[in-house]
Amino acid sequence: MGHLASGGGRSPGASLSVPVGGRAKALPWWRTPSVRRYLFGYTLLAPAVLYVGVLVGAPFLFSLYLALSDASVGAPVARFVGLENFTSALETGVFWTAVRNTLVFTVGAAVMKGFLGTTLAFLLVQPFKGRRVVRGLVVIPFTIPIAISVLGWKWMFDSQFSVLNWALSGLGLIGEYGTPDWPVWLGQPMLALASVMFVNVWRSFPFSAIVLLAGMTSVSPEIIDAAKVDGATFMQRFRKIIVPMIAPILFVGAAFDTVFTLSDLSIVYLLTNGGPDGATEILPTLAYNTGIRGGALGRGAAISLFLFPLLLPAMVLLLRTLRRRQY
Amino acid sequence: MSDSRLVQADRPTVTRRSFLKVAGTGAAGGALLAMLDARQAPAQLKGTSLRVILWSHFVPAYDAWIDDFARKWGEQNGATVRIDHIPHLELPARYAAEFAAGAGHDLIYFAGQILTGQYYRHLLDLSDLANDLGTRYGPWMPSAKSAAQVAGVWYAVPDYFISIPVLWRKDLFESVGRPAPKTWDDLRVAARLLRPKGHPTGMQFSHCNDANHNWRALLYCFGAKETDPSGQSIELDSKETREALRFAKALYDEGMTPEVFSWDDASDNRYLASGVASWIHDAISAFRTTEDTNPKVFRETYVLPEAAGPGGTWNVGEPNVWAIWKFSKNVPAAKEFIMAVANSQKEAMGASRGYNMPFLRRRYDKPMPGLGQDAKLGTLQEQDKITAFFGHPGPMTPAAQEVLTTFIVPDMFTRVARGASIDETMKWGVGEIRRIYAKHKAA
Repeated sequence: MGHLASGGGRSPGASLSVPVGGRAKALPWWRTPSVRRYLFGYTLLAPAVLYVGVLVGAPFLFSLYLALSDASVGAPVARFVGLENFTSALETGVFWTAVRNTLVFTVGAAVMKGFLGTTLAFLLVQPFKGRRVVRGLVVIPFTIPIAISVLGWKWMFDSQFSVLNWALSGLGLIGEYGTPDWPVWLGQPMLALASVMFVNVWRSFPFSAIVLLAGMTSVSPEIIDAAKVDGATFMQRFRKIIVPMIAPILFVGAAFDTVFTLSDLSIVYLLTNGGPDGATEILPTLAYNTGIRGGALGRGAAISLFLFPLLLPAMVLLLRTLRRRQY
Repeated sequence: MSDSRLVQADRPTVTRRSFLKVAGTGAAGGALLAMLDARQAPAQLKGTSLRVILWSHFVPAYDAWIDDFARKWGEQNGATVRIDHIPHLELPARYAAEFAAGAGHDLIYFAGQILTGQYYRHLLDLSDLANDLGTRYGPWMPSAKSAAQVAGVWYAVPDYFISIPVLWRKDLFESVGRPAPKTWDDLRVAARLLRPKGHPTGMQFSHCNDANHNWRALLYCFGAKETDPSGQSIELDSKETREALRFAKALYDEGMTPEVFSWDDASDNRYLASGVASWIHDAISAFRTTEDTNPKVFRETYVLPEAAGPGGTWNVGEPNVWAIWKFSKNVPAAKEFIMAVANSQKEAMGASRGYNMPFLRRRYDKPMPGLGQDAKLGTLQEQDKITAFFGHPGPMTPAAQEVLTTFIVPDMFTRVARGASIDETMKWGVGEIRRIYAKHKAA
């Protein structure tokens, strides 16, 4: 660093003294601006990495360890059995039924939530009297504790006292109690799967609507108005303007919803526990009943890990699409 | 053998170490027995705290009774007792967590799902308590050992079991000219006659506890066996099982409606209390619910301990046992509490309104609390003679427990009721069970 050799009252002939051929003293590498910037960034990131590592990474590795062993609830330190637990699961019919139901449950519920959530979001974005109250009310299903809301649905699907059935019967839309036209919501295989999906959709579609609503309110009204002036129809505005503009929010919402639905144990466990005869068995219930209630931790962990290959491609696809759109 | 005897003869028969060990154990055991005999808690309980976990009983009055009992017992012994009641289906997850953490309740309880075989390496040997209770009030029912022993050692102490008899409507049976039922055939005929009149029967074809018990009762009454008495060899693939499946199919076709595929443990209670059911196969909680909610139907509801089948009469109960972790911080208090509850069995049974059936034979001396004074429930006072548990006639091993929790037996009945062939169903069900047993054997 150069410095001024003389002060303010410079006499004639005095000159500015600058070290000739001198070099600026180099900072240690860890104090350079770029390193300090990185260090600062990583320090801020560290809690999140630690959180994910401890609460997600460690349990994942532990379940991997369990899945490769013959561990049971009473003997978690067990011997290595390789992929035996995975092959054992693949050999059972119940497992494949659970895989099929899990996919139907997740995809079916996602489609319905997408449709209902979009419709609701469009309704809620319109100006009308009491809009704030309505917006508050629609999220109630999402905010009620899941056990309570599912027990409420259990009553509504009850084979004998279902308020839905009695109402429909009163309207003459279905037969009377005791006749074959009386639906047994949780007892007929297709109806049972549809019923558990319905409860998942009922509970989660307000979340989809709120996510969409948040995105839609961020779209400038001028752009929409300009499109209207240009003659764009409602569907064209939705497809070509709104969806592309709110795509990042949609992808994040879809990613969350897929994870929540795929790993949802509570609804099926409380409504049917996978019955009748596996009609609503999904991977989380099968894993829980095998690993925890049945005590076979290794096999339970292996079954639950089959969720990972189902989930991974969906997540990779979603996140890659999101990244492409961002850059 | 002779060689070893010769070698041993050269050595001192009692070393100082073995003498101290035997003397110490004897003194401790003697003190415990003396203490138990005197029904006094040891002084070291004073100032301690005991944490107990129990299921939320189907009879709320019993929970109130045991909480009050624990409070009083704590006051008498200068200890603090805290009882946590949680739903019985959540107990296995709680125990898995407690075991993994190496900490939790001092005294635990297996309700319905018996995990003695899973955890026995980490449970205290409670043979002293079990043998003492056996001497006082026993002998134990043979099936009690199935829930509490592993290799002849009591790792748990049986508390009570829930009996699941037949509850039938006398007025409805008489309306179609049927006498009081005695056999499964009697029940089937009545259901066939009464369903067209709007009074079907019902047993759960679903994934719930009652489905596991009810269909096993039918299986055992038809002479079918899940395993051999050792619990090692699967014996379900038999002509008796096929006959039971055939009978269940006919019973469903003739006497039930599709509602049964959606039922949970309480659906049949409501079915009876609503006045629709001609008969159900359920615990006496259904009887009590009907008593409280529909007196007219209750007056006509009677109790059959179990229907007889070609293979005998077997009621499948739901067992409940105490156990203590090795890592329990208050073993003396936990043991004392088990004994105190066992010594108050009559009060406990009364508080449960006759729901809690004892495992000890001399507790069946008539009149039994909650049952003996009731003309209808009095028939249950010999339930000890006909009760079996899952895995019958084998013990409740971890493999049998996994078969129970994955609902393979009810699913076999469901498949046949829905029209699947018996041979295909047997192939599937027995195949699944074999796979589970093979895994446990390998482990």
